Amino acid sequence: MSFLRRRPWIVTLASIATVIAAWAIATYTGAVSDLLLPTPDELWDGAADLVLNGYKGYSLGAHIGLSLLRVGLGFGLGTIIGTLLGLGMGVSRKLDALAAPYIEFLRPLPQLAYLVLLIIWFGIGETPKIVLLFLAALPVSAVAARDGVRQVSPQRILAARSLGASPWQIFCHVVLPSALGEIFIGARLSIGIVYATLIAAEMIAGSSGIGWLILDAGRFLRSDYVIAGILIIAAMGIALDRGLLFAQRRIVHWAGK
Amino acid sequence: MSDISGLGRRKLLAGAAGLGLAASLPILRARAADAPTINIAYFVETKPTAIAKAKGWFEQESGAKINWIEVGSGAQINAGVVGGSIDIGIGIGSSPSASGISQGIPYKVIGLLDNIGPAEELTVRASAHIKTPADFKGKKIATPFGSTSHFRLIGFLKTNNLSLSDVTVLDLPPDQIVAAWKRGDIDGAYVWSPAKAEILADGGEVYETYKELDEKGYVIADLIVARNAFATAHSDAVVGILKAYGKALTYWQTNPDDAAAIVGQATGVTAAVAAANMKEYDFVPQKEQLTAAWLGTPGHPGAFAEQLHHTAEFLVGQKSIRRALKLPAYQKGIDTSYLEKAVA
Repeated sequence: MSFLRRRPWIVTLASIATVIAAWAIATYTGAVSDLLLPTPDELWDGAADLVLNGYKGYSLGAHIGLSLLRVGLGFGLGTIIGTLLGLGMGVSRKLDALAAPYIEFLRPLPQLAYLVLLIIWFGIGETPKIVLLFLAALPVSAVAARDGVRQVSPQRILAARSLGASPWQIFCHVVLPSALGEIFIGARLSIGIVYATLIAAEMIAGSSGIGWLILDAGRFLRSDYVIAGILIIAAMGIALDRGLLFAQRRIVHWAGK
Repeated sequence: MSDISGLGRRKLLAGAAGLGLAASLPILRARAADAPTINIAYFVETKPTAIAKAKGWFEQESGAKINWIEVGSGAQINAGVVGGSIDIGIGIGSSPSASGISQGIPYKVIGLLDNIGPAEELTVRASAHIKTPADFKGKKIATPFGSTSHFRLIGFLKTNNLSLSDVTVLDLPPDQIVAAWKRGDIDGAYVWSPAKAEILADGGEVYETYKELDEKGYVIADLIVARNAFATAHSDAVVGILKAYGKALTYWQTNPDDAAAIVGQATGVTAAVAAANMKEYDFVPQKEQLTAAWLGTPGHPGAFAEQLHHTAEFLVGQKSIRRALKLPAYQKGIDTSYLEKAVA
């Protein structure tokens, strides 16, 4: 078994192959109706059709691009503003007392709960979609940045102060670098939440985006498009997370050492 | 025959329950245990079905217990029938039905609820001065995707050579259409009441499309469907459901004021609004449904199968369904045997 222990990818491959084989047997023999699950070649045809001909007015690339743009803007704005707010909350007890109730209120709130309000307030264009994603990202990154600042050891700050560092220098050279690890953990958490909110965001008057594609295809039980869409959205999610992980390793290269 | 026995069984059951004798009569007890539970999917809408539901006629006529499942779209009925959790769907539109039959969903159309006609119609902002098809260029029109209204809207654009880049078509459910209308985000909507009525009351006007579209084959209707396995096992109950609807139709025609009050109460609108909404629908009488113009009779399929066929071909062009079947498949997708018994 040490052969397998040294090569875990063989187990992974075998696991995937088993699932695909079970899927093929279940669908080709007709044990499972193609309404519930497409056959592998139907899925292939569906996916190829999406790639070649797009879906209802947009090419597949445009659907993916629009979704990424929404995620990027919502996550980017939410994380930047959330992190700045969190850093402030970590440094200043007053700001913390001021902002914490809203952050704590927003954090556990399911986004679907206020979806209709966003439509009434911001209409049906891109704004409500991005606001929804922004609100999903904001509290997670604020809490992560605040906790990051709080975890900086007082000895380090005292040491820097006794060496004559100004409060600004302490913040830039001691507090921020120490909190970066937590900030990145928060960012990776928040991209997960933003991404999970994408489908809800694209429920708003959509006719574009990979989340809308899945919803719309589902209405007609087009399981081939639905599953192709799920595979694409999963791949995009993994790519986003890996991208952040890469940035984290480059920027906070000392973390965990 | 089944009509008579069905009636007798109901009377016996009612009598037995009333006298508390059920427990002492083994035959009746066995029959009571046989009474199926029907999972009926329905829409909250201002239609005579609400009368039959409020008066308990569906239970009475079918002799069954009914588990009511409120749905918001025909797509949910399709998914529910595939999963076996919905036995009968009342009010499913012709487009989701056509897509369902094309995809082999195991159900049949057993009756017509209504011919939609002008009840679903294009409404536009009066201030936008939209008078000709060309005026729609650059406008935003909302409709619930996958619905009969969506089918008609796309049909309207097609027959007037307007493309989806000329007109922005937005996917919104009816309540959100009203919100977007009030904010001024959309210039028009293709939808049904109450959303349509709210738009008309708030600066909207009708842009009539239905007559031209009906002529060009974009007929839309609401249907009653029954899951195959359920309908063959409980054909009497299915006949009873259709009878209950027939009774409600007669009630709406003979006691319109009472009917409107009941429907209003069931759907949360005033009796006047309920009556106005119902007058827009063409509730085709059940005997007329059995003529060649509509569903036909067993062995003599009517013209409506062609509508389903046309709708399915259209949905293929929209990439909504993979393939359309040939006309006979849609003729087989309509089973008028229950309706024939119900009106006999």
